[in-house]
Amino acid sequence: MNLPQAVAFAVLALAVAVADAQKLPWETNNAQGNAKQFVKFVYPEQVSVAANKDSVVELHFAVNPGLHINSHVPSEKSFIPTQLIVAEPPGITVGPVDFPPGTDFTSAGEKLSVYTGEFVVRAHVKAKPGEHLVQAALRYQACDALSCYPPRNAPVAVDVVAK
Amino acid sequence: MKRNYWVILVVIVALGLIAWAGVTNYKRRKESKMPTAVLSATPPTSASDPAAADAPFKNPLADKQAPDFTLHDTTGKKVSLSDYKGKAVVLDFWATWCAPCKVEIPWLAKLHDQYASQGLVILGVSEDDLDQDDKAALTKEKQQIADSAAKLGINYPVLLDDKEVSKPYGGIDALPTTFFVDRNGKVVAATIGLVDRDEIEANIKKALGSGDQAPGQAPDPAQKGAS
Repeated sequence: MNLPQAVAFAVLALAVAVADAQKLPWETNNAQGNAKQFVKFVYPEQVSVAANKDSVVELHFAVNPGLHINSHVPSEKSFIPTQLIVAEPPGITVGPVDFPPGTDFTSAGEKLSVYTGEFVVRAHVKAKPGEHLVQAALRYQACDALSCYPPRNAPVAVDVVAK
Repeated sequence: MKRNYWVILVVIVALGLIAWAGVTNYKRRKESKMPTAVLSATPPTSASDPAAADAPFKNPLADKQAPDFTLHDTTGKKVSLSDYKGKAVVLDFWATWCAPCKVEIPWLAKLHDQYASQGLVILGVSEDDLDQDDKAALTKEKQQIADSAAKLGINYPVLLDDKEVSKPYGGIDALPTTFFVDRNGKVVAATIGLVDRDEIEANIKKALGSGDQAPGQAPDPAQKGAS
């Protein structure tokens, strides 16, 4: 391998390594990253908590109008539950997570347990003094009255300031 | 000579960045902890706006040849669309987690019984995620699909999509999505989401009624009234 080839190889390897380094645990190589989201993380972007003490961070989400997502405990085993997937940076622990109970909903003749509109997930955290960027994803599966959409991950990022 | 220094410098910088990316990646993986999901309170409000998520469905394959594919069914048998030349084929993309699919599938099973003798073939294509990296999980997932199909009374082959088949069919963003293919392999209709049983039957008749028939198949007496 001559030097220009070595440079080309090094740059390609760099691109692959950097791309891989930027992935979070729930991120995959499939097309889901570009897929339309049906649930949005609304707030907070930043919260203050007492350092080294158990605290609760309320995460507010909104489901698009006309749609519903399964609750964390769907009405049937084959349905996909809503889950929060968290990547913990050093200095903070996240969990357990409290989900609201689902609302009864009938769609296509089937009784479902769902979230619609806005809902709040309460995450228990304990952080060391400092600023911690917690990145997470809400995994959900949405439907409207006539169609269902493949599962998606809604990105969540909260800056937790522990004093 | 001077050029070589530059090249060496670029290589050193690039290798340095690769090392940095590798360390960052390692740290991130080490720090990352996966699922956390439990229970609690606060009921949400209900939605009333019926506006669906997407623009009106436009058949991406209208009057085009249905892209051929080969997939395995739930029994492990290889099935290709081209196996059914001369037949009318309904391709129904569905999933075990899709509630509207559970309304449509029993209709398809009955329509299959009704029109199979006239040359109708129905293929269910499951869009359930399959864990190809974990054999035990994959076996379990396949079994769950087969069990779900049996529970719904599916009397036609259920194929397991490898995610390569849905792409040429427009990406399959919503389920159920159904394509109606005539005896010449041309897509004559498609529907997205749950539609009326009558609309499905009309599309089946349309698929049966156009294209060259396979030898020995009776003509469809009802096709004259089809849309």
